[in-house]
This record gives sequence, structure tokens and C-alpha cells, in this order.
Amino acid sequence: MNVGPDHERWADAAGVYVLGALPTDECAAYEDHLAACPTCRAETEELRVAAQALPLSAPAMRPPPALKSRIMAEVEREAELLASASGAPRRAPEPKRRRFNFSLRGVIPAVGLACAALVAGAFGGAALFGSSSPQTIPFESTISNTSAELEMTDDGATIVANNLPLPPEGKVYMVWIQKPGQAPEPTSALFTPRRDGSATASVTGDMDAVETVLVNTEPIGGSTTPTSQPVLTASVS
Amino acid sequence: MARAQTDHMDVRAFADEDLIPMMARGDARAFETLYERHSGAAYSLAYRMVGKQALAEDVIQEAFLNLWRSGAHYDRGRGSVRTWILGIVHHRAIDALRRNSVHAKRRSDDDTAAERLESPERVEEDVARRDEASIVRGAMDVLPADQLKVIELAYFGGFTHTEIADMLESPIGTVKGRMRLGLKKMREALAHGAVEA
Repeated sequence: MNVGPDHERWADAAGVYVLGALPTDECAAYEDHLAACPTCRAETEELRVAAQALPLSAPAMRPPPALKSRIMAEVEREAELLASASGAPRRAPEPKRRRFNFSLRGVIPAVGLACAALVAGAFGGAALFGSSSPQTIPFESTISNTSAELEMTDDGATIVANNLPLPPEGKVYMVWIQKPGQAPEPTSALFTPRRDGSATASVTGDMDAVETVLVNTEPIGGSTTPTSQPVLTASVS
Repeated sequence: MARAQTDHMDVRAFADEDLIPMMARGDARAFETLYERHSGAAYSLAYRMVGKQALAEDVIQEAFLNLWRSGAHYDRGRGSVRTWILGIVHHRAIDALRRNSVHAKRRSDDDTAAERLESPERVEEDVARRDEASIVRGAMDVLPADQLKVIELAYFGGFTHTEIADMLESPIGTVKGRMRLGLKKMREALAHGAVEA
């Protein structure tokens, strides 16, 4: 079977890869190699069968009923909003209200680790995330025709994007926050746009001193460090 | 966008692969059915990895909300819905382990015994799951201890191969080789046990 370029470097990496034990940057490089190396692709698929069986060996446990209640409450809420939005005309975009020297300090309550909730779909952010006057900051976009804004309210920050293309297969969009002089920090905001290219994502949590909000593409499930360049960048301070 | 909010009893008759597009259209009942079918295996995996009930619940909440919001990305050519869901949970658990640095703090199984809520074999799905678990554990039992150890540290511990090499004071090449050989042996054993994830 043919091998791809740089095969020697990756000859023993298939097992590490399917176990999820390659560091994020190496993982992306290995996936590039896989695309060009039939031998490694075949071995990866073979070993993946064993790796995918591993979770079944975990001692059987039943999740607490309260966990389902919490998850379903959020799902029902979003399903209702989605249903409402599907029957109503889309809101006209609000005029941009860019404010320079805006700081998040003290605006968003700290709740420990940054957490995020995301609703991707054809419904307006303002309907979801509080009613106080939002402050809007435009994103710089590397994708032609894609526009996005970051809306800051008392309840959090919301990303509203339009004409956003679907991410590559196996990828989702992911939101990152960055503080001055520091590496981007992951949030749990992972999203894909709806068919009309619209998407809305919200980020809440400890946003103290956040300087930049970034959006890039990552493997489904997200990453702990960015593996691709940002496609959307907003400077918030 | 049309939204098909189906009756829960009707939805239960659908296969997983049919529920995914319904969920992607905003059908909460389709999502709920998928949750009921797979949350047990998902929670078991999350708990096995993070070793703490509260953190396991966070992992499951993140993973299933991610599923709800990105269901359109399921590709049936790459495996079953369960495999896909467990892959998301695995990813999330690794993130949680690395984010919370709980590797060092994780307690032993004995310490966490009080938190465990072992699943009783009450329904048919539980019994089937335990049969599968038995076959997979059997396939793991055939591995030499050094191969099993690196596989468990990587998959359930969320450690990278370089971290495992440091931990075991073994060359990185040795660790990679053990993972590869171990998985190959498991694959063969599973083929004899005829279990697929």
C-alpha cells in the first residue's frame, strides 16, 4: 500500500491518535498526514475499532435524574425559541453601537470558569439574552461576505453572525477569549450555523479583563488550544 | 424552518440514525430519546474518566448540549450514533481533565465508592450493555499489563503519549509501540467476541 510523505515520522502514531493521546497541535498535523497516506489511514481505521470499544468497559452507572432535568430544561427552552423564531420574521439587525474603551470588568458576573451556552439558529440574540441595551462590537472577519457582531449586555456577551459558511466536515466553530499577553482560553461555545448562514452564540462567566473574543474552527468536541487561525476577531477593550 | 415536535412515545420507535435529523430540526423529544438511550453509557464513561460525580455531570451536560446544538454534523459513514456520542463525551472529559488539572487530585476507586451509583440491571438495554462490557473487558484482559496500562492512561486518563512516557520513565517510541500493539490485539480479540461499538 502507498505511503504518504513524512510517513516515517508518523509510522507509529495511529494508536496514539485513536486513543486521543496526541497533543492538539500534533493531532492536526497527523490528520493532514492521514489525508495523504493510505497506509496510515488503513491502520488508523483498524485500531479505531478497538479504541471505540474501550468506553463500553467502564463500570455501568446511571446518571442522576436531576441531570436529565437540567439538560432537558435547556433543550426545551431552546426548542421553544427556535419554534418561535421559525414562525416569525427575522429581526432586522440592530444598528451598530460600537463603543471604544469598553471594559467587561464588573459588567459580567464572575461564575468561576468561563462557561458558555450556545444557540445556533435563526433567532435574534436580544430575544435570548436580556433586555438591557446591548453594546455592539463588530468582528473582523477573514471570510468574505460573513459579518458578525459581539453584543454585550448585563447578562453576558452574544455573538451574532450572518452568512457564515458551514465549517469543514468534522469541524465546528469554537469561541475563545483572550486576555492581554495570554494565550486564548477555550469556552464551551461550539456551534454550527443554520442553513441560512445565521448563528448566535453566547458566552458568560469570568470575562474579567478579556481583550479579544475569537472564533475559529476546531474538531467536534472542541480543543484546549486553538488548532486553526481565527476567522472572526473582536477587540473588546 | 419547520419544526416537528413529535410525541415521545412515537419517537421511541425510531432508530438513532433517524432521530438525528429530527433533533437537528429542533425536536426536543428526539433529543430526549437519544439521551435516554445513551446517557447511561456516556455517564459511565465520563465518571470512569474524571472520577468525580459533579465533574462527570458537567461533562455529560456539555456533551449532550453540544449534541443538541450540532446534531447536523453526524456522519453515519463514520460509525454508530452511540460511537459518535461517546466520542463527544470522551473529548469533553479530556478537556475537563486538562482544564481542571484533576489528574493529580483524582482519588482512587475506593475513595470514590460512596459517590458511585451502580446501575442495576433493570432493563434490557442495561443487560445488553453489560454483556458488551464483559466482552470488551475480556478483550482487554488478554493484553500484557504494560500495553493495557498505556492504553488506559491515554484513553481514560486523558494523558498524552509524552506525559505517559514521562510518568512511566519509558521512551516515547516504546509507549507508542505498546499502544499500537495493544490495540491490535484488542481488535483481534473483539473480532472473536463479535462486539462492535
